Amino acid sequence: MGETGAVDRRGLRSLTALGKGRGGFRLAGLFGPRLRKGTLRTVFFAPALLLIVFLVVYPVLQTVYLSFISVTGAPTLGNYQDVLSDPETINPHLSWPPPLGTLLHNALWVAIHLPISLLFGLWLALILREVKGAWIVKSAIFLGMVTPMIVGGVILRFLFETGPGIVPSFFQALGIRSLGVSWLNYRETALLGLIFGSVWLWTGFSLIIYSAGLTTIPKDYFEAAKIDGTPPFRMFFRITLPLLKPMTLVIITMTLLWELKIFDIVYSAVGATGGTRGSVDVLSLQMFNYFVASKYNLAAAVATLLTLLTLVATAFLFRRMVKP
Amino acid sequence: MSSGAADYVPARTSGRLIAIVVALLIITNVVTAVGVYYASVPPKAGETITVIGPWAGSEMAKFLPVLDAFTNSTGIKVSYSIARQEDLKTILPVQFAAQRAPGDVIFMVSSFIKDQGPKGNVLDLTSVVDKTGYSAGALDPVTGTDGKIYGAVYTGKVKPGFWFRPSFFAAHSLSKPTNWTEFTNLLAQIKSIPGIVNPIVSGDGVGWPLSDVTEHFIATYGGASMHRNLTAGTQKWNGTAVHDLFASKIVPLLAAGDFSQPLTWDSTAINGWWNNQYALYFMGSWITGMTPPVDSADLDVFSLPTVSGVTPGVVFAADYFFIPKYTAKVDAAKQLLRFLASKDGQTVQVKQGGHLATVLGVATSAYPAVDAKVAQTLTGKEVLSDLDDTKGEPFQSNFWSQLKGLWTSPDPAGDLNSILDSIQSKA
Repeated sequence: MGETGAVDRRGLRSLTALGKGRGGFRLAGLFGPRLRKGTLRTVFFAPALLLIVFLVVYPVLQTVYLSFISVTGAPTLGNYQDVLSDPETINPHLSWPPPLGTLLHNALWVAIHLPISLLFGLWLALILREVKGAWIVKSAIFLGMVTPMIVGGVILRFLFETGPGIVPSFFQALGIRSLGVSWLNYRETALLGLIFGSVWLWTGFSLIIYSAGLTTIPKDYFEAAKIDGTPPFRMFFRITLPLLKPMTLVIITMTLLWELKIFDIVYSAVGATGGTRGSVDVLSLQMFNYFVASKYNLAAAVATLLTLLTLVATAFLFRRMVKP
Repeated sequence: MSSGAADYVPARTSGRLIAIVVALLIITNVVTAVGVYYASVPPKAGETITVIGPWAGSEMAKFLPVLDAFTNSTGIKVSYSIARQEDLKTILPVQFAAQRAPGDVIFMVSSFIKDQGPKGNVLDLTSVVDKTGYSAGALDPVTGTDGKIYGAVYTGKVKPGFWFRPSFFAAHSLSKPTNWTEFTNLLAQIKSIPGIVNPIVSGDGVGWPLSDVTEHFIATYGGASMHRNLTAGTQKWNGTAVHDLFASKIVPLLAAGDFSQPLTWDSTAINGWWNNQYALYFMGSWITGMTPPVDSADLDVFSLPTVSGVTPGVVFAADYFFIPKYTAKVDAAKQLLRFLASKDGQTVQVKQGGHLATVLGVATSAYPAVDAKVAQTLTGKEVLSDLDDTKGEPFQSNFWSQLKGLWTSPDPAGDLNSILDSIQSKA
């Protein structure tokens, strides 16, 4: 016992204790008395650090470097100029229907998909809160999240195709001919089709997070408000919504990141062409196509822009999250 | 407890830690080295080689007998993997960069083989492929700029025209057209038949079914020369001749609703066509092998009616294949390549239906009856290579995407100029 006592404060007691057994692996013997807790941490942390440096930090720095050099290796800002002046990134003829450019398509994903999936998830979480057997409905909705997005894209393709698809059939039954078509083939409907289809796939995420968040709000708050005669509408905005703020920030952050780097669902639904005349092309797909065409510097420039956009959005939201 | 600190005596020095770390490093290195050695050891005779091809379902079922015939004659087993050539375009360059190959013999578009050969990623087959077995020029699409042959030609398929069910034509007193007016009249007749959604169903995949029908219009009304010039890049897509062809032939049919919207070619489109929701389907000769739903006994085809003064062409899409430089099973792969490029190998394939041999000497009696009808459509026409397959990227994806835009445009005549400009921008 005395053998371990000296190092108790430094957190080494358990390690040295391991070494006490006769014939056992005397791990304690590996560490000298001067080996500090900090050193021990470094030893354990080093492999992970090495992996992160070689597999994350180095490729990121290399990508940024690649984006600032030409194919001949000369330093240049030309890659960014080429990417940003490419009509594929921002279409100078801004008019509906798309293509509007990958940057604006990503912006539309954020502007439409984020609020709808967030509010839809919140609404479902609220109405299913007190329902018996709600877990069945929640599980069914959450299946969209469990489905790999590459499979989700294929499902969407058939969901929106005339014949097998339920969406065109529905609109044909209503007599709306312009929407009774294969949505993903038409410039007018392709982008919206993918965004709305993805709401179905992604709503399960906000539903589950909000459902978990709702269980953390003490019922006393609502009972007290009820006694005071507070209408349900005000209870929602004064109690429920403020207390769900941390969950809301998590959902916004995760959804935003997903929307900015969206690729798989678009690729599997319409292919690498980015849809009819590029009507659903997004930044990640543009980067992919540059890469396939061996335009590595341009691909690196798009990747860097994408990382910057993601970092700015995430940093802002994280700051909001950690604020007391 | 505090007295314990004074009693504590370290059992060993930290030198042991270093010893263990070094030992771990050695062990992991040895394990990795052994693993890598056995993973990359060259195959022994009788081992399995891998072929990657684009055929699935019934098409694959008709290719496997060829591989079986090879195994029976050589004892070399062959494993077949399916991969879309659109996907291989992205997968292979990355694999090649790592000096690896996912298969030993790979079927791929000619433009890719021609591009990768001189880069050193494809085996030089100049001394392996028997040039005398083919017609003159047959190997040009896989001959690199350095003059070396980097691939071989397997069987091919013709894209002869519009397929129809003779039973449907007989039931509605329809007949094959012999001129443009008869063709448009036929479409009008079909449109008036109850249950018909559109006269012609448009196949949709990644984009190629639309490019095939477009090429047929170009090869028929612009002639073989226009098709060749567009392939070579010596004629502009947004020039007057091409514009007029689109404006006078394709756009009016689109505007009149004679073509359906693009539908998944091997499911929705083919089923709708076979169920008489659509009467005509432009497709390659491989359709004869697409059973079910197709029954080749109730199948016929006609080409677009020709016009005098224009020498028409017909697109013959051959399947090309190559051996990646990074295969460890070079000898077995070469044997398979020779077999697939031989009269014996291709005879087995054409007997299955839907394929036409590219090597010389395959007996006519080897073909099923329906393929004889396909052969008739070749009479008096020049044989052309597939335009977008030959040009490759970045033209091909853009071409497909722009044509889909034309097919789905509410105003195809109004959008025609911008679409042809866009096609030309990457031609």
